[in-house]
Amino acid sequence: MYDQFETPEPDEAVKLALRRIEESTARGEGSDVDGLAFNEVVVNMGPQHPSTHGVLRLVVTLDGELVKDVIPVIGYLHRCKEKLAEKRTYFQYIPIVDRTEYLASINCEWAYVMTVEKLAGMQVTRRAEFIRVITGELMRIASHLVAVGTFTADLSPLGTAMVFYMFRDREIILDLMEELTGARMMFNYYRFGGVRYDLPDGWVEKCRDFLKMFPKKIKEYEALVDTNAVFLQRTQAKGVITQQDVVDYGITGPNARASGIDLDLRRTRPYSVYPELDFEVITAQHGDIFDRYRCRMDEMRESLKIIEQCLDMLPKGPVQLGSLRAPYVITPPPGSAYVGQENPRGEYGTYIESDGSRYPYRLKYRDPCFCNLQLFPKLLSGNKIADAVAISGSIDLVLGGIDR
Amino acid sequence: MDILVDILRAVLFVVIAYAVVFVAALVNIFYERRFMAFIGDRLGPNRTGPQGVLQSVADAFKMMGKEDFRPLLADPVLFTLAPVTVMIGAVSIQLVIPYTGGFMATSLNVGVIFLVAITSFTTLSILMGGWASRNKYSLVGALRAAAQMISYEIPMLLSLLIVAMIVGSLRVDVIVAFQANYEWIGFYAPFTFLMFYIASIAELNRGPFDLPESESELVAGYATEYSGMRFGMFYLNEYAGLTIMSMVAVTLFFGGWMGPWAGAIQFWGIEWIGIFWFLAKTYVLVSALVWIRFSIPRLQVDQLMAFAWKILIPLGLVNILATAAIILWVPSWKWGLLVFGWVSFFAFVGLFDPILKRRLRKQRERQPVVSA
Repeated sequence: MYDQFETPEPDEAVKLALRRIEESTARGEGSDVDGLAFNEVVVNMGPQHPSTHGVLRLVVTLDGELVKDVIPVIGYLHRCKEKLAEKRTYFQYIPIVDRTEYLASINCEWAYVMTVEKLAGMQVTRRAEFIRVITGELMRIASHLVAVGTFTADLSPLGTAMVFYMFRDREIILDLMEELTGARMMFNYYRFGGVRYDLPDGWVEKCRDFLKMFPKKIKEYEALVDTNAVFLQRTQAKGVITQQDVVDYGITGPNARASGIDLDLRRTRPYSVYPELDFEVITAQHGDIFDRYRCRMDEMRESLKIIEQCLDMLPKGPVQLGSLRAPYVITPPPGSAYVGQENPRGEYGTYIESDGSRYPYRLKYRDPCFCNLQLFPKLLSGNKIADAVAISGSIDLVLGGIDR
Repeated sequence: MDILVDILRAVLFVVIAYAVVFVAALVNIFYERRFMAFIGDRLGPNRTGPQGVLQSVADAFKMMGKEDFRPLLADPVLFTLAPVTVMIGAVSIQLVIPYTGGFMATSLNVGVIFLVAITSFTTLSILMGGWASRNKYSLVGALRAAAQMISYEIPMLLSLLIVAMIVGSLRVDVIVAFQANYEWIGFYAPFTFLMFYIASIAELNRGPFDLPESESELVAGYATEYSGMRFGMFYLNEYAGLTIMSMVAVTLFFGGWMGPWAGAIQFWGIEWIGIFWFLAKTYVLVSALVWIRFSIPRLQVDQLMAFAWKILIPLGLVNILATAAIILWVPSWKWGLLVFGWVSFFAFVGLFDPILKRRLRKQRERQPVVSA
């Protein structure tokens, strides 16, 4: 018979949180009001929670409004992406890469394709390189729009208006991508040694229109929040990531650059045609929520600059190697390769080990969000709940990448 | 016979009060969704009925059709009682508000005090619901609501006291009568009105003070475990509150039902055009509430409390002292109040933002630069 007063057995993460409370009370660190030491509660945020953007689960120990301890629990979106690679040929695996980190799917594809090219020693046609940079940077803008939009939506109903402005403008990018690749999210566009389709007629003009229009939109977003005293109050001097943290936890991307670390793989470990392009690596000084937000906004501007240069320099020529057909079956020589690519969220690395067959022997991703998530317990503890939500929004996690 | 008329009268006004609450809630939900869609550059609900006006009616029916669900471990009595009692504030507050000339349930001699006292009832229901749900989100939300509403009742009362001081009466109909010939108290005491307005937004749990139900932190706050019509009652109360609070603000600060030709059509002793002016003024304020919600990010708990206790309450006390001094010692005190009111209003509006930003800038300069 079902006993309505029997509470279900807590799972591992909750047990760990409860044990930590007991340990801290035993050490005498527990909060103590009039001898009552039971005022810490374990709250389960997620996997279905409005502010976790996906299926992240945080087991949070709360002392009133104060966050004492955070235990991130991942794996709710695990789809065996790495294992799947071992049963598919290199070519068959391309569409699956899209589905790892879905907000910047084309950048993930790029990382995978680059690794295979390095492994097989293939050259990429020059026109295809430029198209790759253009699409990669467009997706970087789209991804940052989602990141900033959802982050402001975590802060307030103002953000719910802002997030709609940002998704409205992201639509333009997605339309451009759709015209080019035929898809809006899962592109399956890059091929070994090139890209699938050449730019359609009139695409360059449409892209230039977007470049002309978008800086105004960025100004509009900034006007909404940058001078808003409440927004500044909520974001400045909160959730500071120090440079030591960045080194210790392997933080990359805008989160590291906001702490003043000049780490951008497009510049420090250049790939594709980035050495020929003129752009700045955006850094900030304080490493707080506001700086991370500012970094993303400024990076969008830099991306626009890169796209504009690429459109100007776009050479003529084929977009695929040799014949019109892409090399469907490739057998790289035995060996291994790692390529780190600057994803909107940081270093997205792909490691492939080949045994000389048509299938990868092993494939491993280094996901930036996975590394950034490690910082959560340290970063969130000691803040208010509201701050914790704002901080986790500003770190910009994509669970598809973490769980793979 | 007189008793019979009195009973009929009482029934009539209670029915009207409930009707106002339900209709206002349905109208406001639709209005806010369309307004919010306009702000967010979208369309909003526009499929149900002409321009989507029946959307909230459809939603209400959907809610009524939902399963009446109660968590197993919830306190059965309090859990059921909370959504039932939550409307008490919104309904009974209307008993002292004149809808128009000659159309008022009762002229209570402590009307203003009654307004403030009855508003607190909502806090009780929210606390009850949050506690009884036996959910941690609900509990945190309920405690936030209690702390916030109790804190903001003080500045609210302080600003209402000024109205009572200016008029010299606590009767609401006397306050409206005082504002004939467009001598609206909102003009004499704009700063007081601002304080009242801020406090009333906090009382309504609306953005930027919507901490008790901040969906990004606490899922749905105190209403997390509620569904169906029980949740609907909380929801209705919240949105009816927009109109009710604006009605109070209009009555006390903007001349209530008074307006051009307010008494042009009169029968049964009621000035019918006044209702139009009353509603028009009310909906101007409701629009402002919606606009504010989508323009200012949510405050944090400590910032919210600091704003009430460190800024609004001291300023309110100073305001009371200054107003009392002017009324006592300045011969033409109405002019004195006018000057003082507008000077303090512009000083507050003009100085608050720069001072806050300057403090933040200083704080940021002190903040260690992590990039050594």
